[in-house]
Amino acid sequence: MTRNRSYVAVLILLLCASAGWDLLAGPKADQTTTNQSASTVSSDSYMGLSGEELWSNNCLRCHNIRPPTMYGDAQWDVIVHHMRLRANITGQEQRAIVEFLKSAK
Amino acid sequence: MKINRCYPIAIIQAALLTIASVVNGAEDTTTGEYVTRKEYDELKAQLLAMKKELDAIKKEKTVAPKRESSESRAVASTASTQGNPEGQNVSDLNKDVTSAVTKPVSESAGSLLGTTKFLLTGWAEGMFEARNGQVSTFSASFNPIFLWELTPKLFFDSRLEIEPSGGGTNVNLVNAQLSYLLNDYMVLGVGEFFSPSNVFVERFEPQWINKLPDRPIGVYHGVLPNISVGAQVRGGFPIGPTRANYAFYVSNGPVLNTFDARTAGTLDFNSYTDNNDNKAVGGRVGFLPIPGVEVGYGFETSKPGFQGTTFHDVQALVQSVDLEVTRDSDLLKGRINLFAQYAWSHVDHAVYDPDGSLGFGPLPLTAKRDGGYAELAYRPTKIDIDFLRNLELIYRWDHLSRDPSGLGDPEETRSTLGLDFWLSPSTVVKAAYEWDQVNGQPNKNAVLLQAAMGF
Repeated sequence: MTRNRSYVAVLILLLCASAGWDLLAGPKADQTTTNQSASTVSSDSYMGLSGEELWSNNCLRCHNIRPPTMYGDAQWDVIVHHMRLRANITGQEQRAIVEFLKSAK
Repeated sequence: MKINRCYPIAIIQAALLTIASVVNGAEDTTTGEYVTRKEYDELKAQLLAMKKELDAIKKEKTVAPKRESSESRAVASTASTQGNPEGQNVSDLNKDVTSAVTKPVSESAGSLLGTTKFLLTGWAEGMFEARNGQVSTFSASFNPIFLWELTPKLFFDSRLEIEPSGGGTNVNLVNAQLSYLLNDYMVLGVGEFFSPSNVFVERFEPQWINKLPDRPIGVYHGVLPNISVGAQVRGGFPIGPTRANYAFYVSNGPVLNTFDARTAGTLDFNSYTDNNDNKAVGGRVGFLPIPGVEVGYGFETSKPGFQGTTFHDVQALVQSVDLEVTRDSDLLKGRINLFAQYAWSHVDHAVYDPDGSLGFGPLPLTAKRDGGYAELAYRPTKIDIDFLRNLELIYRWDHLSRDPSGLGDPEETRSTLGLDFWLSPSTVVKAAYEWDQVNGQPNKNAVLLQAAMGF
């Protein structure tokens, strides 16, 4: 009985998430599509996303993003390395994010 | 008269001789407090030499970028005038030249500063809790995280938890892991690490990240592993336009509780030393169909019984599903976060206290438990009023089933409504009210207040 209730709860959550997705859609989704279809891709990009977008997408998944000026270059190296281990991002994403954070200052 | 005229001359000569001898003596000997002329000259020479070296370094640094840009221009113009048979982009050639020229400068800077990078980070928090049926109390903790990037591939991270307790201070080692980046898609780790299947512990536990003052019960009380001691391999990779990630590990695993009727059949994930030769195997796979959405499945299988007892072959399996959604919405003028995880644990049939020597057996039992949480948060990040933009509203539901023996903790379900005010991206003041319903017992409703800062 308890298990059935748990399954139903999980199912409802998944349904709510998928149903609400289009409703909540903002311009960011369009922006992503535009970037992916763009023919020119900057050196700090990965899968069509710029370093800034990767930084925003990956960091915001768990917590507020901290401004690039908050840490020095060497500190960002360490922080993004640590976050790569925690968030399972790829090496290319790590490099693109670090490059963006250093250049944004 | 003639004699009288000679006196002043003789006195002046004697005075001059005395002064000269004093000056000569001063040049050769060092007084306790003053620098001699010789030492002064030596120091001056050294200072001038250092100035020259500094000027040379400054000159080199200013010349390098100029040289780099002029060479880049030269390559670019050559490429454009001669054509590019292989179709290589001119900007790519520029980048090659740029990296080649800047390398010596960065290397010299690196050698001056050293190659190891260290960062002390972490968080601190203070909290007030008034819970029905318990005395109200303040609490605090300081959680430093030590990060060392020994090389670009080799990394060490460790976290301590320091908190006042009773008449003293508790210091706990939360994790300590050495990691090696094998390639862009794979990392090896060894040591004490956060269990990958427990998404809350691995990602949301720091109190400047956790949006509510307390933590979900389902993920800490024996349903999900939280810390593992062992080795793991993990990483992420693209699949077409989508992404996936994985983490698999081998660890000491949990310990099966067998000595107490209340906890019989439950798993103790806080025992970090092993109790048998069997090792737990676990992991999590995650899938990100679009940015901002991740679904995951985690598991851990183990033999948690003590070696040499009747429980040594008892098998335990923990499984979990999780969902993380982050979405910026123009319609709602803000950001929505949805985090959810639910876990089920199953321990094979066993008879606890079979001969009755512990006073509660024989107790035959197939131990099953489940628990989890769902949290929805909204922050109006797109509203123009600063005060409102820094507010965040949170609702969480969490649940934990009763202890499998039926003699221990009963089923517990909580609903928590919270309001946060963000002073900075990593500094927050939280207030929450928690409706805590324990089956068959008076409620444990609570008022929770907390200030947390990540640094």
